[in-house]
Amino acid sequence: MKRKRSLLLIVMVFCLTFAFLVSNSISQQKPIIAKSCSLPGCHTAKPNELYGNLKTVSAKAEMIQIDTGALWTVKFDENTKLKNWNQPINKIPKEKEITITYVEKNGELYATLINVKPPVVVDPAKVIKVSEMKKIFDDKKGLIIDCRPPGRYHEGHIPGSINIWYAEFDKHIDKLPQDKNELIVYYCQGPT
Amino acid sequence: MTPSSARRAEALGYTNVKQFVDGIPEWKKQGYPVASTPKYLKDLIEKDIPHVLIDVRPAEKAKQEHIPGAVNIPLADLEKAKNLFPKQKNAPILIYCDLDKLSQQAFDIVRKWGYINTSYVVGGLNAWKQTGGQVVSDQFKKQIVYVPKPKPGTIGEEEFKKIVGKPPKNVFILDVRDPEETQMGMLKGAKNIPVNELKDRLGEIPKDKEIIIHCATGMRAEMAYNILKEAGYNTKFLDANIQIRKDGKYKIIKE
Repeated sequence: MKRKRSLLLIVMVFCLTFAFLVSNSISQQKPIIAKSCSLPGCHTAKPNELYGNLKTVSAKAEMIQIDTGALWTVKFDENTKLKNWNQPINKIPKEKEITITYVEKNGELYATLINVKPPVVVDPAKVIKVSEMKKIFDDKKGLIIDCRPPGRYHEGHIPGSINIWYAEFDKHIDKLPQDKNELIVYYCQGPT
Repeated sequence: MTPSSARRAEALGYTNVKQFVDGIPEWKKQGYPVASTPKYLKDLIEKDIPHVLIDVRPAEKAKQEHIPGAVNIPLADLEKAKNLFPKQKNAPILIYCDLDKLSQQAFDIVRKWGYINTSYVVGGLNAWKQTGGQVVSDQFKKQIVYVPKPKPGTIGEEEFKKIVGKPPKNVFILDVRDPEETQMGMLKGAKNIPVNELKDRLGEIPKDKEIIIHCATGMRAEMAYNILKEAGYNTKFLDANIQIRKDGKYKIIKE
């Protein structure tokens, strides 16, 4: 009986240690998906994929760095495929949203595919140009909403607009007009 | 973010949702009014980020109570003050008054001179005080001084030249170009580790020195900077084109 109990104790200690090690190694992992993108219905992270903003790229060094909330350095070569991009790889602008599909070799990451986020398709009937925006501003019509993060709004916004960051849309539904037919105009930092 | 926000609003039943997709950059380009908040101004002051702050109220009134660090140029004198403004057209220029009336007019004048990052502080002095901003009296700066800071992690050209001319003991110069490129010449005392080998060769870089990184254009140097920074090094990089001759003499070309 006594032996059985001590065996049980050993097993328990082992399990706890193991659980601790596993949880510890997971908590040390870097994010694979940028926070601004981990919104419900926006993107989901897949294994062997990094989703974030381009930080640096060098064709000479055949390396690319992506910011997912943490820094990842990934190597590439002539076999790396490019999607939604027909210029040289080092012409991808900084901060552009990209997805890197990679394989791991000897502790280093190699990109098999770099997918550049294409411009979002919008219905032209719903798009307004700057002249029309100015008219709405001058006429003080409707509700103008800046949907960028607060820091950007503080730095400079269209006077009279309110700030509802897209990532916090749900929290501020009460700020939208009562009348569902009221004009709402959204703007941000331009097409990305 | 605009199309996604619009879609969400439409899903809630809003029928008249428009998207100004060109957004703030296009709005600013046209020279249309831009408002900033007292919070932004507070950030700039607290974080010591270079900016220009103009109080456009009449001198007598303004000196009684104003925001620290401001320069007083009454609206009536503004047109004549053009040459007091910085040469950098991207300098953040913030204008305030009491009720935004004067500052909105001043915005148009300053913006017309080409200062793309001009804004008026919405709500003026009152809003500033409500955000907990300090006020002082009669302590205006005598003139506009704007000295931009190099971007984080970069080393200024002058400092780089000084270090390379006579490398201090606590500095390690790291050249992250390919070995072939270094055949044309290297800086005196520099060590070459190509950026794509850097992660495996961190052991060759001393932890107790400041690491000054360069490549040929600044791009790979920035990459190496990111890697070393993450590994806990004290480091800076040269964000410029540099050509190095066989004798170690070099030329920096800033864009």
